Amino acid sequence: MGSLGVNLPALIVVGISLVIGLLMVVLFRYTSDQDAIRIAKDHLKAHLLALRLFQDQIPVVIRSYGRIVLATGRYLRLAFMPLLVVIVPLTFLIVQIDRYLGSFPIKAGESFLVSARVTDAAAFNDASLQLPDGLVATAPAVHVPAENEVVWRVMAAREGDYVVNVQASAQSFAKRVVVGSGLPRLSPERLRGKFWERLFYSAEPALPENNLVEAIEVQYPARDIAFASFQWNWIWLFFLLSLAAGFLFKSILGIEI
Amino acid sequence: MKRRRVTTSVDRKRLALFLAVLGIIFFFPLPSHAYAGPGAGFAVLSSFWTLFVALLYSIYAFFVWPFRQLFRVLRKRKAYGNAQIKRGVILGFDGMDPELTERFIAEGRLPNLAKLRDHGTFRKLRTTYPAISPVAWSTFMTGVNPGKHNIYDFLARDLSNYLPYLSSAEIKGPKRSFKIGKYTVPLGGPRIKGMRRGTPFWHWLGEAGIFCSVIRVPVTFPPEKFPGVLLSGMCVPDLKGSQGTFCLCTTRASGDKFREGGVRVPVERNGSASHSYVPGPEDPLLPGSGDELRASFEIRPDKTGTQARFTVESQNFTLKVGEYSEWIPVKFKAGAGFNAHGICRFYLKELSPEVEVYVTPVNIDPGRPDLPISHPVTYSIYLAKLFGPYATLGLAEDTWALNEHVLDDDAFLAQCYANHDDRERMLFDALEKTQQGLCACVFDTTDRVQHMFWRYLDEDHPAARDVPHAQHPQVIQALYARMDELVGRVMKQIDDKTLLMVVSDHGFKSFARCVNLNAWLHQNGYLALKAGKTESGDWFEDVDWARTRAYTMGLNGLYLNIKGREREGIIEAGADADALKNELRHKLDGLVDSASGRIGITGVFDCDAVYAGPYVDNAPDLIVGYGDGFRASWDSVMGKVTSLIFEDNLKAWSGDHCIDPRLVPGVLFCNRKIAEEKPGIVDVAPTILKLFGLALPGHLDGKPWTVAQGTIVGP
Repeated sequence: MGSLGVNLPALIVVGISLVIGLLMVVLFRYTSDQDAIRIAKDHLKAHLLALRLFQDQIPVVIRSYGRIVLATGRYLRLAFMPLLVVIVPLTFLIVQIDRYLGSFPIKAGESFLVSARVTDAAAFNDASLQLPDGLVATAPAVHVPAENEVVWRVMAAREGDYVVNVQASAQSFAKRVVVGSGLPRLSPERLRGKFWERLFYSAEPALPENNLVEAIEVQYPARDIAFASFQWNWIWLFFLLSLAAGFLFKSILGIEI
Repeated sequence: MKRRRVTTSVDRKRLALFLAVLGIIFFFPLPSHAYAGPGAGFAVLSSFWTLFVALLYSIYAFFVWPFRQLFRVLRKRKAYGNAQIKRGVILGFDGMDPELTERFIAEGRLPNLAKLRDHGTFRKLRTTYPAISPVAWSTFMTGVNPGKHNIYDFLARDLSNYLPYLSSAEIKGPKRSFKIGKYTVPLGGPRIKGMRRGTPFWHWLGEAGIFCSVIRVPVTFPPEKFPGVLLSGMCVPDLKGSQGTFCLCTTRASGDKFREGGVRVPVERNGSASHSYVPGPEDPLLPGSGDELRASFEIRPDKTGTQARFTVESQNFTLKVGEYSEWIPVKFKAGAGFNAHGICRFYLKELSPEVEVYVTPVNIDPGRPDLPISHPVTYSIYLAKLFGPYATLGLAEDTWALNEHVLDDDAFLAQCYANHDDRERMLFDALEKTQQGLCACVFDTTDRVQHMFWRYLDEDHPAARDVPHAQHPQVIQALYARMDELVGRVMKQIDDKTLLMVVSDHGFKSFARCVNLNAWLHQNGYLALKAGKTESGDWFEDVDWARTRAYTMGLNGLYLNIKGREREGIIEAGADADALKNELRHKLDGLVDSASGRIGITGVFDCDAVYAGPYVDNAPDLIVGYGDGFRASWDSVMGKVTSLIFEDNLKAWSGDHCIDPRLVPGVLFCNRKIAEEKPGIVDVAPTILKLFGLALPGHLDGKPWTVAQGTIVGP
């Protein structure tokens, strides 16, 4: 911890924010119609000034407000166009970063939940959890029929990179569990099918098709990052810092945003 | 060239793609879409912030409006209570001449003005003594004679040294500063003092709750506070503080200096590129040193040699030979965080064999004004944001550059009409914003184009003798037609409760012969030169004041060298001065140009007779009224004594109005019948006040006209 309350995850977020803020404005510069954006912004400002200059003329004020809405729409359209170009790689990048910064690994000595979602309520009775050495179940399985879920409470005896197995209908389905500290890559869920959902939420291979288990989830605690005397979700911190970096770089580079 | 349209060229495919992706995001949301990062953040924050501010302000304006109205009533400022009109629109066409107008109407060139003449009013409008724009427009706005508004010419003379200064405004350095070594760090901005006195009629209207939009009326710099909006016109300086200093960047070596209005700057070739600079204002950290700030630029011709890429600071643009750039922002850095912001246009004159670039005077940037050029300050910014940068210099059309052959006719006209187009946009915006109240806008194009192209209207103007008359371009005819077309568009915008007036401050006549009045005074024993001198330099260099009884500077003023008033005065005020004035009037009135046989001076007017008011002491002693075809010579205006009294005017500046005011009345058109047969420009202010139902201040010299009720010429 530094004097500003900065730690390693915070430093990483700051670094990533600066780099992505810079990349974003540069990409914005080359994928946007800078002249059109400048004009759209100027028109917005002009109509805002008109509200003040002609404040006694109610029809002018109303007309100006309408023009502000139109100009805002125009500006949004122009601003989102380049965003479409960068949103795909940026999204995948951020998803990957979230694997490291989104959650804490399970701490040794702490208990956590492992849940399995099944397709058939009848499979509840069959489902069981097989734990490796170092993990122990602390309570019997709880069935949640409304969600088609079976939940187990597990305690981590010591640090390690484990694989737990959910058994159902004579089949076994593995799920990785990380117990320890630092910034390991974490996968909260293992999913069957659902390509897009897996892309965003899972870092493990898909569960086999045509079986009873839809998903296995390990509840890692959410990671808060200490920065400037506040606890932040890294996404919010990244959002604000990359925004600030973007404003900084756009001014330095003379880019219209 | 002018402002870029965004909405007309919507790329349908891009729009469809945008909407499709937006649809996916909205209808199939994933948490990852929240990871939009800075791009979305900027867009969303900016737009919603804007909407939020706008909404708040709209609500504020909506709810506060009744209270503001109530406040007005409580203060007995019941606007429009006795008004005969809902809206007044005044189009000022500087220098529109009634005789030319009648001629062009007769030729069928001006259908809209003909309509106003036939069904409304057309009169010659009596101008001021002298018939000079700053004088006449000051009288227009204040309704008083120059003795009450203190403007007698563009220039006034400093009694302590016989040197000229700008009569309308005084700009001084900041009040406080401190020194660090050789540097002076200014604390605060420059001080600007308006010299025009009297109250413009829009102040009275504004005080009464009648909104006014006033655009580019001359002598409104510095802008004065009033309840309305105003963009200053003639007399706004450039960034150097002058009334317009163009720059010719050239590889041609020349020791010649331009007579006035411009500087020559070297272009240095460096491989395939050339480099030069735009001269800016004096370094504010080194006042009095003469060190100017500079903004450098690069010219890189392409392989064809017909166009070049310009780099001005971080901005790049390409110009073909014979093409203007748009307004380019330039920043002059003085160090220690002191910068001056201006805008200028580049005109590529030549790329081979020499490189020549004309740069307009550096105008004050209206979007970021270093000096106030509007009231409120945000009005110039508003216009700049809405329409893009525009000329702010008072005399924005660079007549000096054409006079000096730096620009040709076409380049000058292109500049004039670019400014004119801007002005039209401002006018129509003001009309839209001023549905009730007064909208006044002055167009200078009429004045500048007539000044510079009258030579093509005359049969035998000395400045156009090399062009056969049959080949003379019809520039002035086209100008009047264009102004008429503008009047037609304005008439379509107004309703039957709107009064429309078209006024000009003076008319126009040919300026074929120059009269050096200082030479006449010298040759007739009224002005003496130092021993051995037969001519003087500018501003009375080598004049022996101890033996000089009278002198002239500026366009029409003739001054006596009065003891106790002028630094080296020798004429006793009172009877001696009166006698000398009578003597000069007697000798000068009817002065004949022996070469042409025409009368060069048709009237000399005693200022004691034509002016009345608290500022009469600042007036010249006599106003010289030159005859049709004559005007004060270029040298005489600058206080120079030459050997010739009369000579041909060979400059492009070939038409003028600074002559006998009786010969150059302005025009008055109105969409209502006006009873007065001989209206004057001094009557406009009281007439407008009366039409809006306001009591007339007692000090006004003008008399309100009798204006018929109801609009006679409709849209």
